[in-house]
Amino acid sequence: MEVLRVEGLSKNFGGVQVLEDVSFGVRLGEKLAIIGPNGAGKTTLLNLLNGQLSPTAGRIYLFGEDITAMPTHRRAHLRQGRSFQLSSLCSNLTVLDNMLLAIQGIHGCRFQMFRSITSFKHLYRKAQELLRAMDLWEKRNEAVETLGFGEQRKLEVALSLALQPRLLLLDEPSAGLAADERTDMVNIIRGQAGDVGVVIVDHDMDLVFDIADRIIVLYHGQIIAEGDSKEIRGNSRVKEIYMGMEEEHRKC
Amino acid sequence: MRRANIKSSARYKKKLAHFAPCIVGIGILAIVPYFLPSYLQSLVGKVIIFAIFAMSLDVIFGYTGLISLGHAAYFGVGSYTVGILTLRYSVESFWIVTPVAILMAALVAAVFGIIALRVSGIYFLMITFALGQLLVSIAVKWYSLTGGYYGLSGIPRPDFGLTGFRWSNTYFYYFVLLAFVICFFILYRFVHSPFGLTLEGIRENESRMQVMGYNIWLHKYIAFIVSGAFAGVAGMLFAYHNRLINPAHLDVTTSTLVMLMVILGGAGTLYGPIVGAALVILIEYFAGIYVPKRWPLILGGVFVVAVMYARLGIAVQLSRLWKRMP
Amino acid sequence: MDVFVLNLLNGISWGSILFLVASGLSLILGVMGILNLTHGAMYMVGAFVGWSIAVQYGLSFWLAALIGGLSAGLISLVIERGFLRHLYKQLNEQVLLTFGLVHILINSTIWIWGARSRAPFTTPFLSGSVSIMGWSYPMTRIAIIVIGGLLATGLWWLTNKTRVGAMVRAGMDDREMTMGLGINLPLVSVGVFFLGAFLAGFAGVIGAQVLGVYPGLAMDILLLALVVVIIGGVGSVGGALLGSMVIGIVDSFGKALFPNFAMFTIYLAMVVSLSVRPRGLLGRKI
Repeated sequence: MEVLRVEGLSKNFGGVQVLEDVSFGVRLGEKLAIIGPNGAGKTTLLNLLNGQLSPTAGRIYLFGEDITAMPTHRRAHLRQGRSFQLSSLCSNLTVLDNMLLAIQGIHGCRFQMFRSITSFKHLYRKAQELLRAMDLWEKRNEAVETLGFGEQRKLEVALSLALQPRLLLLDEPSAGLAADERTDMVNIIRGQAGDVGVVIVDHDMDLVFDIADRIIVLYHGQIIAEGDSKEIRGNSRVKEIYMGMEEEHRKC
Repeated sequence: MRRANIKSSARYKKKLAHFAPCIVGIGILAIVPYFLPSYLQSLVGKVIIFAIFAMSLDVIFGYTGLISLGHAAYFGVGSYTVGILTLRYSVESFWIVTPVAILMAALVAAVFGIIALRVSGIYFLMITFALGQLLVSIAVKWYSLTGGYYGLSGIPRPDFGLTGFRWSNTYFYYFVLLAFVICFFILYRFVHSPFGLTLEGIRENESRMQVMGYNIWLHKYIAFIVSGAFAGVAGMLFAYHNRLINPAHLDVTTSTLVMLMVILGGAGTLYGPIVGAALVILIEYFAGIYVPKRWPLILGGVFVVAVMYARLGIAVQLSRLWKRMP
Repeated sequence: MDVFVLNLLNGISWGSILFLVASGLSLILGVMGILNLTHGAMYMVGAFVGWSIAVQYGLSFWLAALIGGLSAGLISLVIERGFLRHLYKQLNEQVLLTFGLVHILINSTIWIWGARSRAPFTTPFLSGSVSIMGWSYPMTRIAIIVIGGLLATGLWWLTNKTRVGAMVRAGMDDREMTMGLGINLPLVSVGVFFLGAFLAGFAGVIGAQVLGVYPGLAMDILLLALVVVIIGGVGSVGGALLGSMVIGIVDSFGKALFPNFAMFTIYLAMVVSLSVRPRGLLGRKI
């Protein structure tokens, strides 16, 4: 059973072909990593899956349903969670407020206008559960902007888990994290329920090879390699690209 | 608009400290008629009415983050509906006039909301301004309905249909105070509800809210209508209070005045606008006595001070000081 | 037919005055991201100062126009350096601040000059009229059109053909990049601010030949300049010119044909323009 199916996805930005004919699928419980050099189109791909961009061509299916034209907020109701590359949080609100918003996002109670939010105990219970898992419960009443970078990152991912996703889209979840925080992140992603599909975009090769069941390599908007970590590690084309990148890095 | 919200389950001491200012404030307002002369009661009444007006703007501006420069439109619609029904159509019953006035304000907000929410940022600001001014030009030109440039005067006090009941200034003051308490109660529940938190989330980060499942446009639209409806309540009360309304009550000068009240007091707090309204109206009153010709100058000065030096809002600054005291 | 031509000329001269005000407003908004509501007050200040110089002290009309412009420019500099500089990109703060400043400026003007209107005044050279299609048409309006045209050409040349102009346009497109290239954008911005205010003040005196001088000018002119910027587009001299002509002509014909609906039509035009094409006809994205 496929959680996600992408067919012939292309995106053209005013003449620049950012993604070309991308097709792949994600099975129940599978963890798919998408890697590639900067500018390969990885974040664009996530934005397309998310609905924040519309494709120039191609189709997207979530549990068999065509969601290509579906607005972003409705995709959340199909339990698609998303975390952003640059932490996108409600900075002036507290950690707890952010989590409450994440939880009630797909519940009808978000339209309640007369009862105090504190009376919705189930929201608070769930918030406590999710925040404790990320070790953020102690800081629940702090304004998000006072949190350290790593904590904000953890909250970012925690929010995407709040709607109990069936498909999780993570954009560089471990970016900028310290070693121990990274281990926590890996454990959380690994610890997802068996039927949750995960699409993770990252540059951290250790994390990718550690977690991913399957890896797709994107280069200039096209898929140039696909396989498990052994296949990708052994792929000469991939090595070429990354060696090339290393060279560029050393030149600078 | 910065605050760290404390949302924990009920702890009596905290709740009491939290509500103490409310109770004290309403208590003071309740005994005003016993120690203030009639014309000052009227002034306090005006403060209370504009406090409702300012709170209504706070919903859309402070909580949702939308800069509306035409909010007086809904205030004016509330006022004019009262004036038109009582003076042009001789409908005197409070039980008809008031709901219709509030409904009209909400309706205009519903229509304007659809137009204005198509755009955002500076364009939203300009379009709300233009829509408000559009209403002003209609009010000025449609003499037969609105009394044109000079407006409607001689609006009677509300008629409850109670035989033997005669209005006095004090009774009217308590009427306005009661309306304020009801509005404050409803708005307080509104901003502390899940919907209220949603609005703050939208103010902070729209795209995050979107991926969490919120239909941003719908929430903004509902907030816009609620905001307009309460502005209409204030307008309705103002018509009864002032007995006279004219196009100036609809126009950008009034819209910016109420915006000033919200910012001066502290946006996004609900009690801030109340303080802001009191400050602005008191300054207007004293300026009117001592330097009547220079009131616009002083008002301009207040704008400048509010923006440059009291950005968070005076009420917010004061409450922070209060919290820090041992 | 001749009435049509006369109204058209009225519209073009009215548009010329608006252009001088709107172009500054548009460039300031485009370059500095500041919505400067005091711009109409700059026109008013220029007009009153010019009146004092030309009528009260009987000096040269052109000197009055120059000093009117300079006064407006200087006051604007104070406003920008003292207040607006700290509010970059804070839209509602700018609106409130500049609105407050407008109150202060109008009331100060009334304090100094008194609130009564002053009649239109001009230089003796222009006080006659020319014959157009058998009708007698005031030379002042012709002069306004000529001056407007000259300044429009000058502005166009400045923004499109000079290095400074290129810096301004670059700053509008990508502020960070431009500054990263070592261009002193804040200095250029202040220059644009001064120039815009100068033009508005200058226009106040030139326009006084037809409109006279009164405190309400601050709001009246601001409103129409805003409509011009909205319809013509932000940050574009061409847009300001196009918008000014459209509004000037429509307003003149409107006042002649439908005197009761003038303001309503203007506001309706604003709403429609903002709903359908917020960027305006020739505007840049802001």
